[in-house]
Amino acid sequence: MSYFCGMKHRIAHIILMLMAVCQVTAQSIISGTVSDGKEPLAGANVFVLGTIDGSLTDSLGRFSFITSQTGEVTLKATFIGYDDFMLTADICQLSNLSVLMKEQAASIEEVVVTASTFSFGKSDNFKTMNALDVVMAGNSCGDIVAALQTLPGTQMVGENGKLYVRGGESEECQTFVNGMHVLVPYSTNTENSAVRGRFSPFLFKGINFSLGGYSGEYGQALSSVLPMETTDAATSDKYGVSASLVDWNIGGTKAFSNSSLSFNAALTSMGLYDRLFTQHRDFTRPYRKLSGEAQYKKEFNASSVLKSYVGYDLTSVGLHTDGRNLSLKEHNIYANVTHRATIGHGCTFFTGIANSSVFNDIDNAQTAGDHYRNFRNEVHLKAEVRKVCSDVLKLSMGIEDYIRNSRLRFAPYRYDLDYNLLAAHADAQWRVVPRVFLNMSARAEMMKTDWLLMPRATLSYIPNKHLQWSLVAGRYSQTAADDELAQSQNSLTQATADHAVLSMQYQSKATLLRIEPYWKKYHHLPLMENGIWQSHGYGISRGIDVFLDLSFPIKRGNGVSKGALTTTLSYSFNDSKRLYLDYAEERTPDYASRHNLRLTAKYAVGKFVFGLAESYASGRCFPVGKTPHYNSVDMNLTYLLSPKVIVYTSLNNIMGRTNIFRYDANGSPITASRDRFFYIGIFVSLKNNKAYDISNF
Amino acid sequence: MTSQTFKQLAAIIVFVLISVINIHAQQPSADDMLNQVARLKRIEAMQPDSIGPKYQLALQSLNFAVIYPHAPQTENVMAQAEQTIAQMSKMKHADQSDLCTLTGFLYMVRIVQNPAQNGQRYYIDVMQNFEKALKLNPNNTLAQQLQQKFFEGMRQQTGERSEQ
Repeated sequence: MSYFCGMKHRIAHIILMLMAVCQVTAQSIISGTVSDGKEPLAGANVFVLGTIDGSLTDSLGRFSFITSQTGEVTLKATFIGYDDFMLTADICQLSNLSVLMKEQAASIEEVVVTASTFSFGKSDNFKTMNALDVVMAGNSCGDIVAALQTLPGTQMVGENGKLYVRGGESEECQTFVNGMHVLVPYSTNTENSAVRGRFSPFLFKGINFSLGGYSGEYGQALSSVLPMETTDAATSDKYGVSASLVDWNIGGTKAFSNSSLSFNAALTSMGLYDRLFTQHRDFTRPYRKLSGEAQYKKEFNASSVLKSYVGYDLTSVGLHTDGRNLSLKEHNIYANVTHRATIGHGCTFFTGIANSSVFNDIDNAQTAGDHYRNFRNEVHLKAEVRKVCSDVLKLSMGIEDYIRNSRLRFAPYRYDLDYNLLAAHADAQWRVVPRVFLNMSARAEMMKTDWLLMPRATLSYIPNKHLQWSLVAGRYSQTAADDELAQSQNSLTQATADHAVLSMQYQSKATLLRIEPYWKKYHHLPLMENGIWQSHGYGISRGIDVFLDLSFPIKRGNGVSKGALTTTLSYSFNDSKRLYLDYAEERTPDYASRHNLRLTAKYAVGKFVFGLAESYASGRCFPVGKTPHYNSVDMNLTYLLSPKVIVYTSLNNIMGRTNIFRYDANGSPITASRDRFFYIGIFVSLKNNKAYDISNF
Repeated sequence: MTSQTFKQLAAIIVFVLISVINIHAQQPSADDMLNQVARLKRIEAMQPDSIGPKYQLALQSLNFAVIYPHAPQTENVMAQAEQTIAQMSKMKHADQSDLCTLTGFLYMVRIVQNPAQNGQRYYIDVMQNFEKALKLNPNNTLAQQLQQKFFEGMRQQTGERSEQ
C-alpha cells in the first residue's frame, strides 16, 4: 500500500512538472477528418509520430488535439484493416486536414483461400469448427468420416460408409496425418456393412477436407484429400475413460517440461448390442476391434517440433452368409514420425516418414473352404522446404517417395506386387496485385520409367474479408488398385483427372455461404477389355455444391447470451458417367446419386447440446434398376453431467425407414443391418479438471 | 524477458491513466479505455522494434475487450490484439510465457463474448496456454490471475460450487 502511496506522489509530481513545462511551451492544434473515401472512420488513432500527442476520431471521423511539437513533424493515422497513413509537414499546415485511408491488402501469409476446402480447427482464425463440433454433427457417433458426410460434395453410400466425393470412388479420397499418407484410413467389416474412420477426431487440432483442386503437395488422390494435423504437446496430465454399449476406452497423457507422451486403448464390440437389439444379419462372431494408440511429441524449442504417432487395430468378425461361415480378421498398423523446424530467413523445413501395414485374413471369403490372405505395406518418405519470401510471395518445394508392396494368396490366384513412386512438387503463392492471389504449382511423379507432370493453379479474388472468388484448375493422378495392377502385370498407367472449380464464398459473423460448380474429366481409368486390364477407361463428373451455415445467438430478456442455434444446409447436384472396371458401356457409377441434401441443427443451451439432422439422397442406378431415395432423420444429445463427466447419446434413422442402399448381382436389395441405431456413451476425465474434454490426448 | 525498463515506464503510464480514471468512476469508461489503448499504440509506434510496448498494447486491448465484449469497437480492438501478438511471436527475444498468457487471454475473451458457442470451442486453448505460460515461468502473476479467473468462470458456467 505504501508503495502505491509513494508511487502516487511521484506520479503527481511528474504530472505537475509535465503540466508546468507544457504551459511555458508553444502549443499547436492539429485537426481534421479521417475517411476511407466513402464514409468517415470512427476510432482511428491520429498522432504525431514519436510522441503520445494524438487523439481518436469521433463518430464523424473528426479529430483534434494539442501538441507542443514545433517545426516539421510526421502525422500518423492508424486503423485496423487499413494501411497506415503518414504525412510529414510543418506543424502549422496540419489543421483541417482531410485524411484518406486505404483498405489494407492482405499479405500472402494472412490469406486463406477456402475454395473447395472445409477447414476444422484453428487454421481459419475464429470462424471454424473444432473436433467437438465435428463429433456432434448429425449421426456421426464420434466418427470423423460420418461427420464429414454432412458436407456438400460427399455422397451417401450407406453400404460401406466411406467417403465418396464429387462423383469419385472412395479410393480416390486419400488421408494424410501430419502430411504423411495413410494407406488404409478405415476400419474393416464384412461386405455391405458400414465402416468407420480409424482415427478419433480428438487426435487432431486441424482437419482440412479438400474436395478437389488441392495444391501440388498432395498426390495419389484423383478426387479429394483429407490432411489432418495432430494436436501439439499437452501441457498437463490427463487420464480418462469412456464406456458405451459398443465401445470401451481408456487413455491418458503424461506431460513433461517440453514434451508429452500419450496412450489410448479401446475395445469395440457389437456383442452386447446385438443381444439387446435385433438386426437383419446372422453374425456367427460379433464385430470386435481392439485398438491401441501412442503419441510422443517434443518441442525442442519454439521453432522445432517433433511428432510421432503409432496405432494398431485388430478387427475380427464372423458372418453366416450364402450357406458359408465367413470369418474376417485384419491387423492394421500405422506409424509416422515428423519433424518441422524453422531454420531462419522465413524458411521452414519438414521431414517425415510413415509406414502402413495391413494384413487381411478371410476364411470362406467367396466359397466354403477358401482362404484369402492379403498383406499390403507402404513406406512414405517426405521432405519439404517452405519460404516466405515477402508479403507477396511464398514458395515451397518438396520431394517424396512411396514404396509399396502387396502380397495376395487366394488359391489358385496369387500375386506379389512391388513398386516405387517418386514425386516432387513446387508451389508458389503470389499476391499479383492487392486482393488478387495466384497459387501455381506443379507436381511430377515417376512410376517405373513413366513421368507424369501435373500443373495446378488457383486464381483468387478477395475483395474484402467477407467475400472470396476463386477459379481452380489442375491435373491429378492415382495408381490403379493393387489387384488391377497385378493382373495387368503392372502395365496399367496412372489414371488422371482434370479438375476445374469455380468457388464463391460469403462469410460474415453468423453466416457462411459457399457455392461451387465443378467439372472433372477422368482419363486412363482401368478398364477390363476382353479379359485384359487396359488404361482405356474414362469418365466425367460435373455438378454444383451449395453450403449454408447460419448461427443464431439466443439471448435472455436482459441481452445476456442464453444459448446458440447453429443450422447448416448442404446440397450437392452431381452428374457423372464412367466407362471403367467391368462396365460394358458408359454409365452413371452405381455409388453416385444425383441429389444429396443434408440439413442439420444444433442448439447449445446451458449444459445441453441438441443436434438434429436430416439426410436425403436420390436413388442410385444399377443394371437391375434404380434404388428408392435414401432418407434418414437423426438426433443426438450431449449433456454435461459435471465438469468431468459427459453423456452423449444419439438415435439414427428415428423414423425407422428401411433404406435400400444398392442391389446385388441377383437383384436383391441391400439394406442396413438394422433400421435404427441407438448410441449412448459416458466420458469421464479422471485427472484433468476440464469440462467437455473427452480427449485423452 | 520483455524489457524491464519499458515495463516500468509502461506501468507508470498505466498507473497514471488508471488513477485518472479512478477519480471519475470505479470502472473505466469505454472511451477512457480506448484512449488508453490509443496512447499505448502511439508508444508502440515510437519503439516498433521493442517487445514491451507491444505486450502492453495487446494486454490493454484485451482488457478493453473483456470489460466491453460487445462494444462496437471491440472487434477492431481484438484484431489489433491478435495482430500485435502475432508480431510479438515473430520477434527473436519474445518471452514465450508472456506470449502464451496473451494468447490464452485472447481465447478467454472470445469465450466471454459468446460463452454458449465459444466455451466448448476454445476453453482447451485457454487452459493449455495458461498452463504452458506457468510451466515456462511459474512466477508469471498475470497468467496465475487469469487462470484463476477462468477457473471461477468455468465453475459458474458448469454449475459447480466454488472451492473455498
